Amino acid sequence: MQTTSIKSKAASVEFKGVSKVYGGTVKAVDNVSLKVEAGELVTLLGPSGCGKTTTLRMIAGLEMASSGSIRIGETDVTLLPATDRDVSMVFQSYALFPHMTVLENVSYGLRVSGLKKAVVRDRALNGLELVGLDGYGDRLPSELSGGQQQRVAVARALVLEPQVLLFDEPLSNLDAKLRRQVREEIRELQQSLGLTVVYVTHDQEEALAVSDRIIVMRNAEIAQAGTPRQLYEEPADSFVADFIGEANLMDVSIEAVDQANGTAFIDLAGLAIRLSARNLPPGPAMLAVRPNRIELLPSGRVDALPGKVIKSTYVGNHMEYVVQLEQGEWFATSDDVEAVHVAGSAVSVRFRHPGPVLLPARS
Amino acid sequence: MKRTIAITTTAFALLGALSGTALAADKLNYYCSAQPDWCDLMAKGFEEATGIQVNMTRKSSGETMAQIKAESSNPKGDIWWGGTGDPHLQAAEEGLTEPYVSPMRGELHDWALSQAASGNDATIGIYSGALGYGYNEEVLQANNLPEPACWKDLLKPEYKGHVQMANPNSSGTAYTTLATIVQLFGEDEGFEFMKALHKNINQYTKSGSAPIKAAARGESTIGIVFMHDAVAQAAAGFPIKVVAPCEGTGYEIGGMSIIKGARNPDSAQKFYDWALTADVQSRSLEVDAFQVMSNKAAKSSPLAPDLDSLTLIDYDFEKYGSSDERKRLLKKWDDEVSVLPQ
Amino acid sequence: MNRTVALWLLVGLIGFCVLPWYVLDDGLWNFQWLFDGYPFDTDYAPALFLLLQGEKLWLAPLAVLLVLPIVALFADKGRPVFYRTLCIAGALGLFYLMLQGFSIGIRGWNSDLLNKLLGELGDRQFGFGYGAMLVGASLLFFLTTGIAARGAVNGDEFVVGAIGFVIALVGVFIFLPVLNMLSSALQDNDGHYSLLIFFTKFLDEKIWGLHCLSSSRNCGVAWNSLSLAILVAALTTLLGLVFALVATRSGLRQAHLLRPLTVLPIITPPFVIGLAIILLFGLSGSVTQFIAELLGVQPTRWVYGMPGILIAQLLSFTPIAFLVLIGVVEGVSPSMEEASQTLRASRWQTFITVSLPLMRPGLANAFLLGFIESMADFGNPLVLGGNFDVLSTEIFFAIVGAQNDQGKAAVLAIVLLIFTLTAFYAQRRWLGKKSYTTQTGKGDGGAPVTLPKRVLYPCYVLVAFWGTFTLVVYGMIVYGGFVELWGLDHTLTFKHYITAFGVALTENGISWRGSAWDSFWTTLRIAATAAPLTAAIGLVTAYLLVRQNFKGKDSFEFGTMLSFAIPGTVIGVAYILAFNVPPLELTGTGVILVISFIFRNMPVGIRAGIASMSQLDKSLDEASLTLGANSWRTFREIILPLMRPAILAALVFSFVRAMTAISAVIFLVSAEHNMATSYIIGRVENNDYGIAIAYSTTLIVVMLSVVALMQWMVGKTTTSRRASQRAPDIVAIR
Repeated sequence: MQTTSIKSKAASVEFKGVSKVYGGTVKAVDNVSLKVEAGELVTLLGPSGCGKTTTLRMIAGLEMASSGSIRIGETDVTLLPATDRDVSMVFQSYALFPHMTVLENVSYGLRVSGLKKAVVRDRALNGLELVGLDGYGDRLPSELSGGQQQRVAVARALVLEPQVLLFDEPLSNLDAKLRRQVREEIRELQQSLGLTVVYVTHDQEEALAVSDRIIVMRNAEIAQAGTPRQLYEEPADSFVADFIGEANLMDVSIEAVDQANGTAFIDLAGLAIRLSARNLPPGPAMLAVRPNRIELLPSGRVDALPGKVIKSTYVGNHMEYVVQLEQGEWFATSDDVEAVHVAGSAVSVRFRHPGPVLLPARS
Repeated sequence: MKRTIAITTTAFALLGALSGTALAADKLNYYCSAQPDWCDLMAKGFEEATGIQVNMTRKSSGETMAQIKAESSNPKGDIWWGGTGDPHLQAAEEGLTEPYVSPMRGELHDWALSQAASGNDATIGIYSGALGYGYNEEVLQANNLPEPACWKDLLKPEYKGHVQMANPNSSGTAYTTLATIVQLFGEDEGFEFMKALHKNINQYTKSGSAPIKAAARGESTIGIVFMHDAVAQAAAGFPIKVVAPCEGTGYEIGGMSIIKGARNPDSAQKFYDWALTADVQSRSLEVDAFQVMSNKAAKSSPLAPDLDSLTLIDYDFEKYGSSDERKRLLKKWDDEVSVLPQ
Repeated sequence: MNRTVALWLLVGLIGFCVLPWYVLDDGLWNFQWLFDGYPFDTDYAPALFLLLQGEKLWLAPLAVLLVLPIVALFADKGRPVFYRTLCIAGALGLFYLMLQGFSIGIRGWNSDLLNKLLGELGDRQFGFGYGAMLVGASLLFFLTTGIAARGAVNGDEFVVGAIGFVIALVGVFIFLPVLNMLSSALQDNDGHYSLLIFFTKFLDEKIWGLHCLSSSRNCGVAWNSLSLAILVAALTTLLGLVFALVATRSGLRQAHLLRPLTVLPIITPPFVIGLAIILLFGLSGSVTQFIAELLGVQPTRWVYGMPGILIAQLLSFTPIAFLVLIGVVEGVSPSMEEASQTLRASRWQTFITVSLPLMRPGLANAFLLGFIESMADFGNPLVLGGNFDVLSTEIFFAIVGAQNDQGKAAVLAIVLLIFTLTAFYAQRRWLGKKSYTTQTGKGDGGAPVTLPKRVLYPCYVLVAFWGTFTLVVYGMIVYGGFVELWGLDHTLTFKHYITAFGVALTENGISWRGSAWDSFWTTLRIAATAAPLTAAIGLVTAYLLVRQNFKGKDSFEFGTMLSFAIPGTVIGVAYILAFNVPPLELTGTGVILVISFIFRNMPVGIRAGIASMSQLDKSLDEASLTLGANSWRTFREIILPLMRPAILAALVFSFVRAMTAISAVIFLVSAEHNMATSYIIGRVENNDYGIAIAYSTTLIVVMLSVVALMQWMVGKTTTSRRASQRAPDIVAIR
């Protein structure tokens, strides 16, 4: 990108057994331990109310942990208020100060940290240049478009060269097209400057696209943490499987496990399937199948399950089907928009490689 | 740097000079319970005569009494001038005011001095006025009512709803009326009178002079007040006729007292002596104050009721000014008169 | 080195060692003491010099507690030694400061008990002065800094300090005087406490009697006040709603003309409306005479009593209800009404089943305002009451009347407080927190549905009638200032204005001859001093309430809003009782007037702040915090600039209220500080309506210009910066 004076002081973030309790009873975050390495972009993902925003705000110092400890780099910041932490945040609403110009907004953090006027101006202009807004300094935030406002918010946070940069649903106020562009820009900035970024979103696609690692949260706890691919292909449980991408879930029974190579055998209505046991013992378990890993073939095949298409929808670049099987209704997608299975037609259903994933049984 | 010092020094010097001059002048905190323009006249007159800076608060005598009492442990006022004598006597009785014997005493009427005697020299009479009533001639005619002349006339049934007096609980004037009636007719008959009067009363006002003001504006017909208040309304152009009741009547003596613990006792004494001079007292006419002044040489208005021509009762200020008697009479009035249906 | 501790240590030491400890006789702004024996004269000496001379030795422990925080000066913020030292020094210091202040007064020990226990003191002390105030502040902020360091409110020193400061102010200037006064309700005439006396007084049949139901006698004052207040509240709410509906839903283009009408009563000094009513409806009033002649009956004094007070209060308080309700009516989302209509409801059904229920919180709010205003109103019952006594006037006459019974006044004040607080509490319980999250009504297309005809036409009639009536009343008021003798001799004259506001040019410059100038300048000065302080304290409190979370926030909120429900008469009486003696000697000063205005009008500032702050996105402050600014800086640089309209509204409102207030003022004015309203009362008492009205009209004009100026200024800020932010109506925020 552009030459810039903005450097990174990226540091790691570590939570040890952190909880946040509201009003004595409501647990917003329950005994969470996590670590974000320096220079890494980690996304906190989960449905609303799962505790991801609270976690982010505890990194910022906007909420204080009820118990546990938080470290940024080498420093224990558990009791430090937001003002005293070297962390910047980009807010969902951008939180640009409406009574200050763009340049004043970007300078604000530098100014309150007591830097010399000339330095402040210099670095603020650099920041604006970095996000491609040079020349917009004298405008008021209300005179900018949504995407431009978003960039001002990023510049304002960046110029402080924070140890950690936080994003709270930064794209949710943008339209779909802009969203893709901005998220790429954020990722590019992060990688080129080597920033530590913690990013909150409820949009799994966005999370998959920008993250080095994703932490999926549910009910105030961490459901699973891992790279996007790990989460997609090896979800820890049905919640993660369903939340990251969609999944058809069904109860199955593991007939046997071959400890030698870690494969399990299951019998799905007469169809024998061999797949990774993922350390599950024989007995009840659950099978998750991604919609795009279901293949619909003309009926009558013995190496497939018999089913009937009950809904068939054309959505442009692919087809969406709902198929009735003995195991229940499955949702499937197909890239083939030419050879269409119409509703009512009988089909044979089979798994594409790498096939379904075994999950622990419902508790 | 040098400049800053210079400016600061000058500023302090100026400040000192300013506050110095402001303080060099004596001060007087003056509580006034007479009518506002009279209060103003006294304040400005005293300032002109002595150069002492006067800070005036005007409140009714009841309010002033309440204030002096509330401030008793740390008085803010120096002198209290005007207002009916009872609260002044009450203040003297409660030790809120300071005894002072003025060199001016020789020039005063006897009633002014006997007031001082009742108050153990802690108060003195500055003016006096007799109780009576006034009526609005136009309203009286419009309602075809006879002209009243005596206290007992007011009990006639045709005056029902036409008479107004103040509530003795809240007004010194009305308490003087109650005490006058009791002294005039004796306690039992006096209360019978008040009960009969109660039937004709259209409103017990809170303030003492309000009844005649209502009558002046045609909001009522007859108002029981001090005659000089009624005269003032007539002088202001209202169709008010003043009546001195034929049976005789009581009177008030306006008081003046120095507040105990005054911060400017010298100024207070200066004011005290000054306020008793004939010249100062004659100026009351400038503001339509029609009371009889306590200095024998003070001028009086032709409109003012001549105290000598009236039948005045021998008002027992000591007895009826005491808080015990006052409480007893007021309670009796409350329990026996005010609860009656009208 | 910890800078906060250093700052307050310095302040405390200046207070202890440099400034005079005791209050100075000649007022705060007089510096004569500098040249008058300072620092050795015991009247002017700082505490340190007193102690060195062996005087007032009971102040010595304060010195120890004051220097104790030196221990914390270089300690690490997170360490127990830091916060423990600060907490102990602050808490003990404040406690001891108050203890010695209340125990030792002008006559030595303040209570007989102490005299018996410790023997006569043989010394005395006056009230707190500059020195004591600074030491108190320093100790208070030691305590709050210590509490913050223990981790309260995210360890935020500014916020904990602000909370402590507001609590201290509210405690000293609202709770202390009111409790002090209430305790006098429990005393008999000799100062002994007795529950029996209290109950005898409390259950007096003059308060609770019900004779009016069965005979021609009057009922108790409590019932009078209560029935009047309920009636006024209901009718003002109804009229206010009618006005609001016509203004927003009639489609009438002239409807915006209704708004200016609403400002009038707020800037009208007390009594004036009452006087106009007498001249219209009194026994000799023009309307009464006209109707009596028309019907050939005897005119009566019908207006004196409940009817007169009712009319006057309706005139005064309907605009308040209107301003509350217009926001609510505008806030009802048109799409809800459209939804109702597409579901086949008629206009009438839509109005009854959808629009009206949606306005319920606003209606409750307007009702409460009407109720409390009527309960606390003092001017109208005084002029128009006749024999219909109400609590507020009874309290006044219990104190100032010939009966001079503070105990009775306190009992009546308790009854009044019970009523207003019950209403206040009931409304808050009923509305919960909803009252703050106002519907903005934006982003919600659709045009407001016009009213059904059977609602609209009666509304038109009412509005036309009431509007004309208001105009006639105000027309009479203006006219009254220009006639010789109002109601009798209607020759036009300027004499009242000349008497009150005459100015002459002499060789020494301008001579302010008029009799009203003195009180006029005092009033302006005091109102102008009180207004910014009121706005500041109100906004800081609002900031704490909206933006911060801390333990006991609900009680904090209730406490700060409480003075809204305490009638001015009660505050006035309480202040003069509480602040006439050391340690807080304030009576007779301008300061006590300023303070009474600040705390009477504080809820206004708070509401203005809350209303406008809840429209500010909270992430603005958070952004500032994460950018490294502390909360004080955030408050100053982000929140305050964005709240300019609210600040202006609070400023003007408290200014105007201070100029027109009467109920507390009448107890607190003094020789040097006489206020306009108190002067006007004097004139009214003297039947001098001309000057009273001339003065009032002048005040109305002055305040109108102030309001107009404010609106102009708000308009300017709006267009140049943020078009979306509308200035809150100065009354809607009450």
